[in-house]
Amino acid sequence: MPKEPKVTGLSPNEGPPGTKVTIRGENLGTGATDLTGLTICGVNCLLTAEWVSPSKITCKTGLCKGKGEVIVTTRSGGLGTCTVTFRGYVMQTGPLEESAVWIDESTTTDKRGRSKSSSALFRKNEDPLGMSMEGKGKFPIDQLEEMFPEGSGDPSNEKFLSEWFLIENHHHTSFDDLKTGLSYLKRKSSQRSEGPLAFMKGNLTSIMDCQDALAAQQGQWMKATSAQDPMHQDLLKDESTSEGGSITEKLETLLNNANDKANAMYQDVLGRKDKADATRNALNVLQRFRFLFSLPGSIERNIQNGDYDIVINDYAKAKSLFADTEVQVFKRVYLEVEKQIETFRGQLTEKLMQLPSSLDEQSKLIRYLMDLGEPGDPAWDCLVNQQKWLLQLLFSCKEEHIKQAQTIPSVAGSEGDTPSSHTPLKYRPSVGTPGSVFTPGHSSVKRMPSFGSTQSPDQAGWKFKTPQRVQFVDDLTDVLLENFPDLWKLWEGYSTGSLLNEAAEKTDVANQEKESKFKKMVEEVMSVYSKLLRAAFLPETLSSLPKEQRAKYGVWPEGKYDNMAHWLPQFVRTIRSCNSTLSGMNLPDETTHDVRDVAQDTRVHCVTTLLQQATEDVKALNDRETWTVERDDRGGITALPLLFENIITELIQHLKEVVQSRAEESEIFRRADTRMKVSKLCEDMLSAFADTMDQLAFRTESQAEAIPTSQQSSSGHNELTSPSEHIPPMERRLVTVLSNCSHTREKVLPKLIDLLEKNGYPEVQKVQKGCQSCFSALDEKLFDAYLEQKADPLVGALEPGVYAGYFMWNDCLPPRGVRNYVKEALMNLIAVHAEVFSISPLLVERVLSRLLQALAEEMLRLMECVTGWSADGAIQARLELCALQDALALYKTPESSKSFHDALQMVPPVKSAADRKNLEELMNKFKSNMQLQLTCFRSDSLKRTLV
Amino acid sequence: MASKPKPPQMALHKVIMVGSGGVGKSALTLQFMYDEFVEDYEPTKADSYRKKVVLDGEEVQIDILDTAGQEDYAAIRDNYFRSGEGFLCVFSITEQESFAATADFREQILRVKNDENIPFLLVGNKCDLFDKRQVTIETATAKAGEWNVPYVETSAKTRQNVDKVFFDLMCEIRDRKKEETAKPDGKKNKKTKKEGKRKKKCVIL
Repeated sequence: MPKEPKVTGLSPNEGPPGTKVTIRGENLGTGATDLTGLTICGVNCLLTAEWVSPSKITCKTGLCKGKGEVIVTTRSGGLGTCTVTFRGYVMQTGPLEESAVWIDESTTTDKRGRSKSSSALFRKNEDPLGMSMEGKGKFPIDQLEEMFPEGSGDPSNEKFLSEWFLIENHHHTSFDDLKTGLSYLKRKSSQRSEGPLAFMKGNLTSIMDCQDALAAQQGQWMKATSAQDPMHQDLLKDESTSEGGSITEKLETLLNNANDKANAMYQDVLGRKDKADATRNALNVLQRFRFLFSLPGSIERNIQNGDYDIVINDYAKAKSLFADTEVQVFKRVYLEVEKQIETFRGQLTEKLMQLPSSLDEQSKLIRYLMDLGEPGDPAWDCLVNQQKWLLQLLFSCKEEHIKQAQTIPSVAGSEGDTPSSHTPLKYRPSVGTPGSVFTPGHSSVKRMPSFGSTQSPDQAGWKFKTPQRVQFVDDLTDVLLENFPDLWKLWEGYSTGSLLNEAAEKTDVANQEKESKFKKMVEEVMSVYSKLLRAAFLPETLSSLPKEQRAKYGVWPEGKYDNMAHWLPQFVRTIRSCNSTLSGMNLPDETTHDVRDVAQDTRVHCVTTLLQQATEDVKALNDRETWTVERDDRGGITALPLLFENIITELIQHLKEVVQSRAEESEIFRRADTRMKVSKLCEDMLSAFADTMDQLAFRTESQAEAIPTSQQSSSGHNELTSPSEHIPPMERRLVTVLSNCSHTREKVLPKLIDLLEKNGYPEVQKVQKGCQSCFSALDEKLFDAYLEQKADPLVGALEPGVYAGYFMWNDCLPPRGVRNYVKEALMNLIAVHAEVFSISPLLVERVLSRLLQALAEEMLRLMECVTGWSADGAIQARLELCALQDALALYKTPESSKSFHDALQMVPPVKSAADRKNLEELMNKFKSNMQLQLTCFRSDSLKRTLV
Repeated sequence: MASKPKPPQMALHKVIMVGSGGVGKSALTLQFMYDEFVEDYEPTKADSYRKKVVLDGEEVQIDILDTAGQEDYAAIRDNYFRSGEGFLCVFSITEQESFAATADFREQILRVKNDENIPFLLVGNKCDLFDKRQVTIETATAKAGEWNVPYVETSAKTRQNVDKVFFDLMCEIRDRKKEETAKPDGKKNKKTKKEGKRKKKCVIL
């Protein structure tokens, strides 16, 4: 079998599991892959096998016990054989042996072989004859019991029978072997007798047991003796008498001596062992609990490094392991750790209370604190703290701004004045911005382009700086909006439990309680915020508060308040954006109540203030009348109505944003009193123009003189048009204003009313009505005044004209034509016509028809007063009446026609055809003579203007 | 344990290598068994080897127990020695102490085997290192003569006398066995007694 693997050598041939074995032999495979199997004592060791050469393999033994073969299997040679054996055993580390691992000595210390102490002479399983007791040839025990009913095969038994033993264990053994065994036994016994030391060595454990037993017995004896037990006394006596009284004592002393000697001998070793054990124990404890002992240091280090997570983990670990420890050392260290953690918690809390900090940071810190088992509720503390801080911020913001406002009171004053002189301009800054997106921040200064957009705020100086209050509102809102969301988010995290994982366990009851508390806190913040705002912009709304409380919210320097008007929209924007941001956060309704109120009040305030302001502006318009009439298609007007319209339109534009309610806001004119107030203001504003025009029309010369100077002094841009010589005479002014008025009434007002309505102003109808009546009244007044101016001379000139040259109706020359007074009246009318037409062609008809009416009435009166008529007089009268009527036919009214008709009735009719013809001729003559003059009364001229 | 031969025809001779640590017991064994010389030194604990050899035309098995030379294992030697039929007591000619230790080994073997004529060879190994020789051939031969055993110088490295020591010992063992089976018990007992006397003399000397 040349190919079959054969193991012929093992190095070593025994060992505990894991022993590295070198296997030598023949045909142990042609290579590492050829090796397909390796068992040692039946345990597969192929995994650890390492093929070195066909005659050498190394491997590690498995968990094998007892003797067994080493079988190598190869692909080339198949299952192999073995000529040597391996013995596996389990090693037990003794108390004096070195070991790389910690051994629980409780199992080894008691096992000093004492369990095997049944016999001092024979070890179990050891043949007394030095031969193997192979189980193969065991003799059946029951047969032996039959043969030797009294005996036993156990060498340690009293009834030991050698026959039994021999038959049981050695009935196959040859005689020679038995003889060898006997000699072995003899040698062994002789060894024992010759060397007590060897004997002692061999049976140390048994002897120790004996000694222990004797010591116990002695103790019992002593007890018995001391108890004066008579029976034992007797026994003792008997013993002492029979044994010579000294054997026991001698034995005792001997044993004691042996004990002492043994103790002395082993004292060192045992002492060392104890020490070693103690050291080992201590080291082990240190090693095993190294974590705890190094914890204080590592915590400090980690805190310094900011590795809070590690600290928390370590602490939690230590807490779970050592919190309830009874061991003093651990207790001490743990206490130290606790102390450190306490300070750490303090640090964290301090850090947490340090504001401002980011939400992330805060929640992280809170989580740390919770993880560290901080008593109480750090998140809540943090919330409270932050709220207080926020309040403080708000107040300090106010303080700062008030201080600044007080340091430049004069500045504020001049600042307030400056824009008011630029009345028309002053809306521009804001008008320019409605479209611009509001961005929170300190950008308000830059939002004033008309005040010098090229200038930097510093260069622009105090004059163009945003008023302190506006700045304040911006800043305050910024403070709130920057910091409140964090507070709210923190709360949300806190209440939903997302802030801390454990927080979710909290009961709803606690949450509700906290929730209401928090609501109050939020409310407080909001109310402070709104009150601060009110203090700045709406101080009167705070008047209900006690004085000291009012002072808390700041008292702003008085006086410049009205001039803030053009800043109000921005203020409103700021508050509204704040409000909308807040409502975007899903705050409970009642908390933002105050802010909403403030926003609402501010809007109303803004609207009213601006309306008032506009009214003022409108009133101031009369300073800006240039009397330059600009003709448009329908009539001439000055710039004034346009200016008026501009003011209003701009105002409405300007207020558009303010008036329009956002989704989250309530209707601005919801309240009845607000509606009333606003509509009244609208009416006032619109009517103010009527007043303005009124003033313009009826202003006395002295007033007219006074104005240009003031205009020149206060403004530069009116210079070109303002000189006093440009102010026209009364009649012209009247016509101009009348034209303006009617234009305003017909064109501008409906437009504005429409605009108001579109923008949702309340009670526009009422406003319209009021304005219309107001303007109508003005119109009437102006018209009447003008007519009075014109009609009086015209009408007054008629009577003298009629009777000029002592003219008598009953005694006159035959008519030669229309008399001069008629022509004169017509000329006057033409003059009026021209005057009116030059300003407003629309008014011509109105004016002339009224004048014609007056003329007709006068004529009627004159005719009625005629006492007698001659034929010529009648012709003359009829001629003149007809001439007048004809000439002014275009402007006839029912009244004038009737007057003319009545007047003609007064005149006796023309009877003769010749007279009638004469009359007709004279009429024609008049018409042809006056053709040029009459042309202006022709309808085509009017039509021309109408087209 | 002695007589449990599976193949009853083939004789089994149990050889035990004794001697101080590092004298070359394992080297000799491995050279004999596998014709290889191991350069690196690794202390042996207890190695077993067994192979078939042809001894004077007769196929026999040799079982070699390579023991530990180190004193650490002295306590367990008794057990090994008991099963041995022949001993190769090895020392290094380059180390005086190893030579001195042979006496202890001899004494222990005799005590365990209780047989003064136990097959025994005194082997002076590492004879290739003659320039480092500390134990002279004369000293060793004298000691061998004193014990009435042969003395052979070997070199595991050069394989000088390696086969010789093993085969010589096997021959002796075989002869001993023949002697014992051929002669009645009494003779052996006598010899034992004689040896006991001799031993006493030696001790006195």
